[in-house]
Amino acid sequence: MSVEIGMEKRIILASAVFVLALTGLIAMSVRSYGIRVPTCLTDVRPFREGRVIQQAPDRYEVHYLARMWAFEPADVAIAPGSTVDFYLSTADVTHGMMIVGTNVNLMAVPGAVNYARVKFDKPGEYLVVCNEYCGTKHHNMAGRIHVSSQAAAAAAAAAATPIPAPEPSPDQALLDQYGCTACHSIDGSAMSAPTFKGLYHSRRTFADGSTAIAEDQYLRDSIEKPDARVVKGFEAMPAIPVPPEDVRRIVEYIETLR
Amino acid sequence: MNDQQTAAPLTYEPVAIEAGLRKIILFEIAFPMVLLLIGIATGLLQVLYRAGIIRSESFLGINYYQGLTLHGTINAIVFTTFFAVAFGHAVIRFYTGKPLLLGAAWTSLVLMTGGTLMAAIPMLTGQASVLYTFYPPLKAHPAFYIGLVLVVVGSWVAFFSWIPVYQRWSRDNPGRKMPMGILGIFATFIVWFIATIPVAIEILFLLIPWSFGWTKSVNVPLARMLFWFFGHPLVYFWLLPAYVMYYTMLPKLAGGKLYSDFAGRFTFLWLIVFSAPIGLHHQYTEPGIDSSWKFVHAIFTMMVAIASLVTAFTLAASMEHGARQRGGKGLFGWWKKLPWVDSERWMFAYLVAGLIIFIPGGITGIINASYSLDLVVHNTAWLPAHFHQTVAGPTFLAFIGGSLLLVSTLTGKEIAFKRLNVWVPWIWTLGIMVFSTGLFVGGIQGEPRRTNMGMSYTNPASPLYQPSWAFAKVVGTIGGVIMFAAMVCYFAVFFATLLRRRTMAGALDLPWSEPYHDENVAAVRTLRPWIVAAVVLLIVAYTMPFLEIARGRYEGSPPYAPDRPVALSR
Repeated sequence: MSVEIGMEKRIILASAVFVLALTGLIAMSVRSYGIRVPTCLTDVRPFREGRVIQQAPDRYEVHYLARMWAFEPADVAIAPGSTVDFYLSTADVTHGMMIVGTNVNLMAVPGAVNYARVKFDKPGEYLVVCNEYCGTKHHNMAGRIHVSSQAAAAAAAAAATPIPAPEPSPDQALLDQYGCTACHSIDGSAMSAPTFKGLYHSRRTFADGSTAIAEDQYLRDSIEKPDARVVKGFEAMPAIPVPPEDVRRIVEYIETLR
Repeated sequence: MNDQQTAAPLTYEPVAIEAGLRKIILFEIAFPMVLLLIGIATGLLQVLYRAGIIRSESFLGINYYQGLTLHGTINAIVFTTFFAVAFGHAVIRFYTGKPLLLGAAWTSLVLMTGGTLMAAIPMLTGQASVLYTFYPPLKAHPAFYIGLVLVVVGSWVAFFSWIPVYQRWSRDNPGRKMPMGILGIFATFIVWFIATIPVAIEILFLLIPWSFGWTKSVNVPLARMLFWFFGHPLVYFWLLPAYVMYYTMLPKLAGGKLYSDFAGRFTFLWLIVFSAPIGLHHQYTEPGIDSSWKFVHAIFTMMVAIASLVTAFTLAASMEHGARQRGGKGLFGWWKKLPWVDSERWMFAYLVAGLIIFIPGGITGIINASYSLDLVVHNTAWLPAHFHQTVAGPTFLAFIGGSLLLVSTLTGKEIAFKRLNVWVPWIWTLGIMVFSTGLFVGGIQGEPRRTNMGMSYTNPASPLYQPSWAFAKVVGTIGGVIMFAAMVCYFAVFFATLLRRRTMAGALDLPWSEPYHDENVAAVRTLRPWIVAAVVLLIVAYTMPFLEIARGRYEGSPPYAPDRPVALSR
């Protein structure tokens, strides 16, 4: 016995045609717009520092290093109308990198390097968001791209007259080793935690309204018991195990950052 | 192929089931329902944090990301797996009419419960805040991984214990087609078994030795590919028990018959083939995988949509048949004859509301799978909007409705608050539509998923404050609060039903539908060729991507605790 299955067959056929047509449209749009989905790069090794390289007035290469919980460089200046090649590497865990308002949406996976190219036609400030969970301060991880002629010119001038780049001192390497520089800057720039520049002997105001002068004991306590007193306007730092000898060296180094 | 099909279709009677099985099923429904109280509360907290209503790292001692881990693990892993096993026991018992292997069923229960408790301890003490996708090199306490393995192994034990029971039925019913419910449950667990092999390899060989410190580093690109080999078929493991209810219960509840027996069988078998060779569509934006293989997976993903479209047609046709049996007239007038808010046939509301949510859920799924389009939405709030319209839509409503149905029939207790009960799925539908709208819009604007936005993007005191994202957050929060309200109503109905006095003898009785077109198509009568096709496609889809990962020789990663920006020293 066989029941007529005409209707069901036609529905399956119609569904298949619809789905194949959609797939064809995707393939066509990818070709005609030249959209490139991230692929397997075999000729670029993971890098350990972020930088911006201007290759021509309207060509840049940006090496973004994602780390818990910042992008390096945090601020990038680009001349409007430029084409930018982004390379993305991670110093620690998995991160995301979305440049809001563009189609750049990459994942940073430990061990591999990711890549995307975008042309910035519209001047403005673009937010760079980490959009993959990367630890308990993930929500602070963001950067900015300034697409403006002035900002690009200033950045180019700064790059042209390089301040003799000092070799990172052993003390600064210590800050990197314990991840301090992920949130604290040493040059006064604003990051998700107070800067170390000028910190020593400054007056600190805490969340509960009390205040204190940042001397040695305060700095040691802040490293060893970060929840005890939290500076107003900031979040408590995660507890990071630092041996007493290194705590002493870090405090001495902060003292020099006037 | 077989001439015995002239036999009249099978009919099914309520089964007075063994006391042991009754206890097992009731425990496997009630236990995760208690955990779901935490899962739902942490869900509400998510929208409050994200909207900036809670501007804090933690609330009631639970960190945002710890709460998100609990929300995902309880709702999407524990509740779903327990329900699938409990429902599987019920379906196999009901449609074979034969007692199950109770020793295996108890073993399965003990493994799954023990595993859940084992994983719960590090989650509740903040030692596993790695979210339910547990991406390395963020590291959880080893008990978290071991607990998840036990839950999975427990579900395998249940599945394998059903096979000999079915074989006995098959010997007693020569030439009969496998009952649709059994086919659906077997499809569910075949998909689950295929899916859990790669994740078992990831957890057992990469993550557990690494989390104990026995190995120094883990190959993250390899771990991620193994995870997503599991991650997509996982969603069909969530969806397929709901499909079992759609194909076996919904036509009956609508007052009619299943329009096409063939379409149902085709759908289940098609999903066995295409649920797994498509995992790379979760990895479009990742390095280390050739984009041409990503496109191959995109094509295979589109194939899944065929089953969804066939289902949409068949279920609509079945409901129309039911409505016309009940006097429905006209091109659309028959809609009025469906029991939308019939408090006696309340299960219809739970199922059909899920189907309505599944319309935008399915369409956005096609968008996500569409290769280049994913670049716009990947890892944004768009994604949770989509999967709440699928796993928190058809799956969740079918599972909470199914839980209530099983408790009511097995204990012989009437549903408490009947009028309220039939509105629960509709309140939930309203909530999820509003919630998803907020998250879809936010996602298009660039709002990241899995982010405590109240600390930064929705906090005017933060340098990262994004005022243009605020409106979408208000919409999402309103939706989330409505969803929470629906669940408060549901919990009241569920626990009041569970705890009230029985009014009749308990028995296992499931709504079952006769076929309207009972086609006899040889191709959908046996599972084996479809399983072979699934394995062949998996080999085609994954051989080269895995070889590429091996050729990449990626440097391994040491473990990281989520709250420390430096590697854990070993």
